Amino acid sequence: MSTHELRFTLNGEPRQVSVPAHRRLIDLIREDLALTGTKEGCSVGVCGACTVIVDGNTMSACLLPATYVDGATVTTIEGLSPEGGPLTPLQDAFIRHGGFQCGICTPGQIMAATALLAENPHPTVDEVKRWMMGNLCRCTGYYKIVESIMAAAEVSAPVPIPAGAAGLSGPTHRIAGS
Amino acid sequence: MREFDFHPATSTAEALDLLGRYGDDAHFMAGGTSLMLMMQQGLVQPGHVVGLRNIRELRGVRSVPGGGLEIGATTTHREVERAKETSAYCPTLAENFSRIATVRIRNQATIGGNLVHADPAQDPPPMLLALDAEAVVASKSGERAIPIDGFFEDFFQTAVREGELLTAVRFPRLPDGVLTTYVKFLPRTEDDYATVSVAAALKLGTDGRCEHVRVALGSAGPTPIRAHQVEDALSGKQITPQAIDDAAELVREEVDPIDDVRGSARYKREMARVWTSRALRGLLERSNGRQGG
Amino acid sequence: MKFEHKATIPAPIDQVWAFLMDVPKVATCAPGVDSVEPLGDDRYRGTIKVAVGPIKLALQGDVSITEKDDAAKKASMRADAADKRAGGAVKAVMSMALTQTPGNPNSTELLMETDAQVMGRIGEFGQPIIRKKAEQTMNEFAKNLQQAIAAGR
Repeated sequence: MSTHELRFTLNGEPRQVSVPAHRRLIDLIREDLALTGTKEGCSVGVCGACTVIVDGNTMSACLLPATYVDGATVTTIEGLSPEGGPLTPLQDAFIRHGGFQCGICTPGQIMAATALLAENPHPTVDEVKRWMMGNLCRCTGYYKIVESIMAAAEVSAPVPIPAGAAGLSGPTHRIAGS
Repeated sequence: MREFDFHPATSTAEALDLLGRYGDDAHFMAGGTSLMLMMQQGLVQPGHVVGLRNIRELRGVRSVPGGGLEIGATTTHREVERAKETSAYCPTLAENFSRIATVRIRNQATIGGNLVHADPAQDPPPMLLALDAEAVVASKSGERAIPIDGFFEDFFQTAVREGELLTAVRFPRLPDGVLTTYVKFLPRTEDDYATVSVAAALKLGTDGRCEHVRVALGSAGPTPIRAHQVEDALSGKQITPQAIDDAAELVREEVDPIDDVRGSARYKREMARVWTSRALRGLLERSNGRQGG
Repeated sequence: MKFEHKATIPAPIDQVWAFLMDVPKVATCAPGVDSVEPLGDDRYRGTIKVAVGPIKLALQGDVSITEKDDAAKKASMRADAADKRAGGAVKAVMSMALTQTPGNPNSTELLMETDAQVMGRIGEFGQPIIRKKAEQTMNEFAKNLQQAIAAGR
């Protein structure tokens, strides 16, 4: 069993970790780095609850070997806005427009929508639906999710995926209750 | 998941060396979507995984002088979908890749991985068949090209042999004026595999006779199927909606679908006929529309 | 999963019956079987290798003849095999019946009925594909059987 030194940027901060070859990225994030905002829903890359952004691209953390991110820039939900600080217009829109209920899919929804708006700041409803179709939700019926994203698209200028956000990045910071 | 040793290769030569060293205890990983799933399910348990992602020469979409296209094996589906070279060669090819699963999968999975995984329900293979593509495969003794028509041997089984690595997919120049389409008949959600899919190419002469035709189906057998009988029935003939429907009837004998959650074999066989007909009728309409002004 | 296979064997019924009751010979007609070892009491042990693309199984198990009727030319067998590494197993019951081809004493009709269950992780993987693969295996078995008997082995 081989072990690998990974050097990557996580939520704006340089990280160095050592992982066995078979470690999944989702386990590195949740277990080793204590960032539990990324959720494991289906474990097979279908539901989108574990959506993370690697080098600007959304991916399923449950399908990625941790070794995949060596040399990469990785963003998790914790990296979108600083702890205790202002939410992004998208996160704000989800609250105002009721884009979540139980919240389990929400980190994934927001990561996916963040990537969408970074690439296409003013999408049509159809474009939103097409992009977001890989993020499943059992509570909302999706209407409010689309509405939240459209509302955010209206108010904000293009928001690049934060590379330097002073978000949570290690086991010394835990969100109460997570 | 059983533990394994991971060897990220940085060149094709290194990848082949590693394959030679570990033999059938080694498995290549490009994007990793299929392999990770199979390893987690315990269906494949290699002791050694050779990573292909860092091999730069295997990645990229390139226009070939003379009008063809070449796509490196570790190019992601999303890269194929978005490359201007892809749309310039054939917009339907870009659209075909855009229909794969979700954007997350397309960001991770690769064209090479897709081909060697050889699940007959995948989107690209019928399109590649309709475009007369070929797979380029390298080994220590050199390189060979395998026409996609014949590349797939059975469920999850291809003509790639031990000691070989798929390096690229090549597409020939398309006949001038050929029209192409990809139709995906989905049973449930947009991110799913198709109940049946049809990729087709058609070129009509000014007299309305068929100068070039290709019809290929996905999710219709143990491998993607090139519908030779349908093509033969149309080749050189006057193409009318009736001629198309008569030819589409022949596809029922060419497919060999299985019963699964996306439909019974009987239903899929009938849908193969329906969607072959619709795909070709669509191309006929576009062809007539074009000629009409 | 239930399968039915019919084959016409260009040999007299007694010759076919004798061949079928020689389990080590018959077993090697199955693709992926190298040899079987007699355990006595109409029981045999062997390994069958099956591959679906990259998924390779080595199913080790026992086959036993549970019924044998020399007069009626009917027999039943059961097989229990497992691949511990892949976490899967197969249980199968098979019955065979021979009848002379009407009007041709040098030709025999073989009817094989199989009821197989695939369990464990390999059982979860695409039941339809397993079924197709099992059918392919049975088809090849029937073909090899025909050839072996015709060649007088």
